[in-house]
Amino acid sequence: MKLRKQYPFYFVLFALVLYVVFLVLPNLSGLAYAFTDWSSYSTDVNFIGLANFQTIFTPGEQYLSFITNTLIFTVWTTLLKLILGLALALLLNEGVKRFAAHVYRTLIYLPAVLPTLVVALIFKSILNPATGLLNTSLRSLGAGALAKPWLVDPRIALSSVIGVDTWKGVGYIMVILLAGLQTIPRDYYEAAEVDGANTWSRFRHITLPMIMPAVMIVTVLNILYGLRVFDIVYALTNGGPGYATDVLMTGIFRAFSQGQYGLGTAITSILFVFLIVVGYFVIRLLQPRPIQE
Amino acid sequence: MKKQVLIAFLVMMMAALGSVAIHAQSNVTLTYIASQGWIFQSEQDLGQKFEQQTGIHIDYQIIPSDQYFNVLQTKLNSGEGPDIFGGQSGVSDLAVTYNVEKNAVDLSDQPWAKQEDPLVLGQSTVNGKVYGLTLWDIYGTTWVVNYNKTIFAKYGLSEPKTYADFKALCQKLLDNGIQPLYEPISDGWHHVLWFPENGPRYEQANPGLADALNANKAMFAGNQTMLTDLQQLKEMYDSGFMGQNALSDAYADRTKTLASGNVAMILANLTFPQQVEADYPDVKADTFGEFVIPLADNQLLNINPAGPTKFIYSGSPNIDAAKQYLGFLTQPENMQYLLDNTPEFSSLPFPGLKSKLLPSEQAFLDAHTAADRGIVYQTAVTYVNPQWIDIGKDLTAMFTGAMQPADVLANIDKRRAQLATAAKDPAWTGEAAATPSS
Repeated sequence: MKLRKQYPFYFVLFALVLYVVFLVLPNLSGLAYAFTDWSSYSTDVNFIGLANFQTIFTPGEQYLSFITNTLIFTVWTTLLKLILGLALALLLNEGVKRFAAHVYRTLIYLPAVLPTLVVALIFKSILNPATGLLNTSLRSLGAGALAKPWLVDPRIALSSVIGVDTWKGVGYIMVILLAGLQTIPRDYYEAAEVDGANTWSRFRHITLPMIMPAVMIVTVLNILYGLRVFDIVYALTNGGPGYATDVLMTGIFRAFSQGQYGLGTAITSILFVFLIVVGYFVIRLLQPRPIQE
Repeated sequence: MKKQVLIAFLVMMMAALGSVAIHAQSNVTLTYIASQGWIFQSEQDLGQKFEQQTGIHIDYQIIPSDQYFNVLQTKLNSGEGPDIFGGQSGVSDLAVTYNVEKNAVDLSDQPWAKQEDPLVLGQSTVNGKVYGLTLWDIYGTTWVVNYNKTIFAKYGLSEPKTYADFKALCQKLLDNGIQPLYEPISDGWHHVLWFPENGPRYEQANPGLADALNANKAMFAGNQTMLTDLQQLKEMYDSGFMGQNALSDAYADRTKTLASGNVAMILANLTFPQQVEADYPDVKADTFGEFVIPLADNQLLNINPAGPTKFIYSGSPNIDAAKQYLGFLTQPENMQYLLDNTPEFSSLPFPGLKSKLLPSEQAFLDAHTAADRGIVYQTAVTYVNPQWIDIGKDLTAMFTGAMQPADVLANIDKRRAQLATAAKDPAWTGEAAATPSS
C-alpha cells in the first residue's frame, strides 16, 4: 500500500528535479539579484538593499506608470475578452445552426493562432493615421471626424493596443467558454422553462453558475497574460508615444538592454509578486460554490 | 644511391613541414562580431581576399543592433570574447562601456595608427594608447539640415543664420502648403539628434561644459542653451513644421518623401542627396543644399569623430592574425576599394583616398574651419549615448505635452547618475554632488 502511494512520485521525480534546477533556483537567485547593483558596466556585484525598489517606486519615475498601464491593460483586456467571448460562445451555442457554428467558430478563433508579431505589424499598418486602411476608409465614407491617430495619440494609444489584443485573443476565450457551455445538461434549461424562467433568469441561475469553473480559468489566464504582456505592446508601439503604453515587461526589457540587470530583476520581482497575489485572490474569488438543489 | 635517397627524403621532409606550416596557418579562423549595419559586403569581399593571401579565415558574426550590446558585454564579462569585436568609439564610452584597457589590445604601434585622422584616432585612445581602428565615414555621416534648393528658390528663401530666420522660413513654407521638415519620430531615435548634435553650440556658450559634465561638476538641468534648444524643438513640433503625422513618420521613407517635393527639409547625413539620387535617379543630388542645425542660433558644424570601430580582444589566441587583418584593411588599395564599393561611405579618415563627396559638400565642410567645428555631445559627454532611446521617449512625451523641456534635461541627469553609479564612476561615487550649470 505504501509502495502504491510512493510509486507515482518516482515517475515525477526526474521532472521535479529539472523543474527545481532550471526554474525554481534561477528564479530565487533572480530575486536575490534584485537587491544588488549587478550591471554590464562592472564585474563587481554588491548588495545595495532596497535601492532598486526605491528607484522604481519614487514618484516621478516612469516605472509607476508602467505598473499603472499594466494594470489598466490587464483589467480591460480581461473584461472585454470575457464579456465578448461569453457573448460569442452563447451565440454559437444557441443562436446559430450547426454548420454555420463550425464556420464562425473557426473564423473567430483564427486570430488566436496568428503570431502576435504578424498581428501587430498588420494593425500598425491598418492604424497608421495618414495611410492606414481604417482612417482612409472612414474618410472615404465621410466619417473623417472619426479618423484618429490611434497609436500615436498618448490619450488613446493604450486603448488601441487593448483593442488589438482583444481582437486577437477573444476567439481563444470563446472556445474555452463554449466548451464549458456544452457541458451544461439540457435538463436544467427544460426544467427552468417549465417553471416559467425567462432567458435572463436561465442565464443567471443556470448558465453562469455552471460555467464558473471555465470563467475562472479564462479570468486567471487573462490576468496572467495581461500582467506579463510584452510582444503586442513592443511590436505595436514600443511603449510609446513617450511612455504612454509602456508596461512592466517593456520596462524590464529596456533595463536589461541598458545593462542594468539588478534593476531589471527588481522590476521582475515586483511582477512576480503581482502574479502570485492577484492570481491567488482571483482564484479564491471565483472558486465555484456548491450548487443549491 | 644512398645519398640520393637521403636528399630526396630531406626534401620530402621539408615539403611536409612547409605544408604543415601553411596548413596550420590556414586553420586560423578569426571570429569578428559586430552590430547589424557595421560590416558591409565590401569588407566581406576584402575578407575573402585576405583569406586567399594569408589563409586566415574571417568568421563575420553580425548581431541585431538591439541585442548587440548585451551579447558583447556577456562575452567580454565571461572572458569569452571574439578575436575582433566592433564597438562605438568615443572616449567617454570606451572605458566605461567596453573597458578597453582590460578587454582590448593596445594598437598604438600599428602603422595605420600614425596615418589615421587625429580627431578620429583620439576617440579610440584611452590614456595615450590606441585601442581601435575606425574605418567609417565620419564626415559624410555628419548630420545637417538638407534642403530642397528648388523649393527654397521658388519662395525666395535662403539658408538661415539664426533660429528666428529658420522659424520664419518654415512658416512661409507652411503657409504655401509645403511641409517644412520631415521628422520621423516613430523610429524613436532620429528626433533625438536635434539635441546632442548641437553640442558645439552648448560648448560655445559654456566653454569647458563637456569636461564639467564628465567630472560631475555640471548638470544638464538648468543649462539655458540646452533648454532653449529643446523649447525651440517643441515649438517646431507645435507649429506644425514637422507635419501632421510626425509621430508615425518613419526614417525608411526619407528619400521617398524628400524626392516627392512635398517636404522641403530633413535632418540627415551630409551625403543624403546621393542617397536620394540612388533611389530616385530623376531627382539629382545637386537638388539639395545643406546648412547646420539652427537651434539656439547655432552656426557651428557638428562633427562626430566617433564611429563603429574594430577592437582586438585582449584574450584572443590570434592577436597577431587579427593585427594582420587590420593592417590589410588599411592598405591604401583596400581602403579605396572599401570606399568605392560601400554606398554608405563617401570618405574615410585616412589621407590619400579619393572621396565621393560632391564638390558642394566638400565646400560645405571646408567652409567650416576648425574654429567653426565642435564635437557632438553624445561623444564628448559620458552616459549620453547609452540613454539615446530613453531621451527619444522623453522628447516624444515633450511633443505630446506629457513632459516639459526642463523635465527632459532632469531625466538625462538622473539616468546619467544611474549609469555612472552602476559603472562605479569615481566622479559620482566619490565626488560631491554637482551644481546646476549656468
